[in-house]
Amino acid sequence: MGFRVGKYILVRAISLGLAVVVGVYLTILIANMGGHVDEIRKAQIWERVAIGVFADETLRMLPRQEREPIIKDKVALEAERLGLDRPFLVRSFSYLGDALSLNLGRAQHLTSDAGSREIRLILLERLPATLALFATANLLLFFGAIFVALFLSRRYGSILDKTIIALAPTSAAPSWFYGIFLILIFAVLLQLLPFGGMVKAPPPESVLEYALSLLKHMILPVAAIVISAIFIAIYSWRTFFLIHSSEDYVEMAKAKGLSSWAIERRYVLRPTLPPIITNFAFMLIGMWTGAIILETVFNWPGLGRLLYEAIALYDTPVIVGAVVVYAYLLVLTLFLLDIIYAMVDPRVKVGSGDRKP
Amino acid sequence: MKKDGLLRVEDLCLHFRTNKGLVQAVDGVSFGLGRGLTLVVVGEAGCGKSSLARAILRLLPRNVHTYTGRIFLNGVDIMKLGEERFRREVRWSKLAFVPQAAINSLNPVVKVGNQVAEPLLVHRLAKTKSEAIARAREACELVGLPGDFLSRYAFELSGGMRQRAIIAMALAARPALVVLDEPTSALDVLTQANIMNLLKGIKQKFKTSFILITHDIATSSELADIAAIMYAGQVVELCNASQFYREPLHPYSQKLIASVPSLRQEKRPEFIPGQPPSLLNPPKGCRFTGRCLSRSNRCEKEPPLVEVKEGRRVKCWLYQ
Repeated sequence: MGFRVGKYILVRAISLGLAVVVGVYLTILIANMGGHVDEIRKAQIWERVAIGVFADETLRMLPRQEREPIIKDKVALEAERLGLDRPFLVRSFSYLGDALSLNLGRAQHLTSDAGSREIRLILLERLPATLALFATANLLLFFGAIFVALFLSRRYGSILDKTIIALAPTSAAPSWFYGIFLILIFAVLLQLLPFGGMVKAPPPESVLEYALSLLKHMILPVAAIVISAIFIAIYSWRTFFLIHSSEDYVEMAKAKGLSSWAIERRYVLRPTLPPIITNFAFMLIGMWTGAIILETVFNWPGLGRLLYEAIALYDTPVIVGAVVVYAYLLVLTLFLLDIIYAMVDPRVKVGSGDRKP
Repeated sequence: MKKDGLLRVEDLCLHFRTNKGLVQAVDGVSFGLGRGLTLVVVGEAGCGKSSLARAILRLLPRNVHTYTGRIFLNGVDIMKLGEERFRREVRWSKLAFVPQAAINSLNPVVKVGNQVAEPLLVHRLAKTKSEAIARAREACELVGLPGDFLSRYAFELSGGMRQRAIIAMALAARPALVVLDEPTSALDVLTQANIMNLLKGIKQKFKTSFILITHDIATSSELADIAAIMYAGQVVELCNASQFYREPLHPYSQKLIASVPSLRQEKRPEFIPGQPPSLLNPPKGCRFTGRCLSRSNRCEKEPPLVEVKEGRRVKCWLYQ
């Protein structure tokens, strides 16, 4: 048994590790536009060098034939410093090695608020903002939706049930769409809540005031996220619970005279725990990534906006760094899920043919 | 028929709302059942047998339109009880159920033993969990399920074993009445015979009453004391089982018996021409008219279910 478990875990680890390698390498290729970003960066270097040369009194006076080679030399030197002289394909693999060993390197343009170019520091600086916002919103969304869905599955066909189903298409619009309207109503018209940002400027000194200010700034973005997803989430969970509460064993539990709470707990929630846990895990991963447009709309200093800025500036190391962190989180979650499944569902057995005594 | 000691059902109706209209699955069914006796409800597929079981057990789907009538269990009209009182006082402790699809009737993630013991704890029939488990073990051994099966999960059991586990679950609380809805229809012939013998033994040992819903006339004969023949949502004949098997009166009952292959006699099994009527719009008058060979003009009016002789009741103009 021990050997089988070890082998199983090893196989899962290898296959998931392979997925990370492929995913990260594809990200490197895409973020660099298959090497085309190099051309853009070379052009940027040439432009910068040329401007520098023209700004230099002595060099500007030189005739064109003498000036050109100087510019070329300076460009070549700068390209060599940045490693642009080697072919992209070769460099792509050294990028891959760095990325996988979490040696995220330095950003090309972006800096952290403290002024560092270390991508690790930039990411770490943005992470708390994103986590605060999305953890609140997603946890609210997840447990709220499941709770309401359980309630509705008991009241199938009621007016409340029909109303929520009718509202489900509202989730077709993204969260930033609702964000704009919320800003219009609560910040512009009613002037109750701030337009955006994470805390008021300058940030309050005391911890309590800081927290209160943060909460006040969080209301609108959290509301936008929740509104944009809650109805479809309730709808799908409700249908999920309806399907699983029409199982024969649920009816049997009713015939046995169990209370409706006991039926819900032991006969609906327990057997459906694996998909619920899966959803929860993916929700957890989702809250680490932030949301590009929502954070931009609310001027929220999170990872989403960082990614937006990095893409706009062709800052590929930042993009790759963010994706690598995300990929590792995803794979770790999947790996843990495999183990949790085997714990909550007796039908999932590690390996096969082995039966408990 | 003797006094209706344990159960008396009067004018039970269960109608469902569907997209196509009203389905009259159970339409004015009445019968009585004495203690320790077994009532067999026979009929074709779709005649409302299972709905009758559900109506008695109050296991109703969401689209119920009409649910009326009186069901007296030990003299108490259980139709009048509220949902919570019905759950506490009747469900399982007095009225247990063995469903059609026993294969899927066990919770896949709870050990079988815990599921068998569960109702004992819910209804406070056992004081502690270990006492409940001990009684569950007893019940399992009674139905021929080895004690170590208690710590297994449903997916580790075969179909017959699961069926036994469900029966053990029904018996553990010692209910007065067990409703069995085609308990053997999903099993192979050998297992069917085993389960039937098991039920027979239990009936003799504990004087438990059964309502056995089945379309299998042959296997039900071993257990039956009283037979109710259902056709299109109504009971068309109600009599002692031996009378039904030997000398059925209603034209439909006669056809049913004639359709059963016989081991000793050299007669070919017959079939009943035509289709059972839709319960959406059952025909006016006698519902069997369309397929009946002895129909006459009288059959346009609905015949009453009247006592013919020796307590036999038949719903046919031929015996009025």
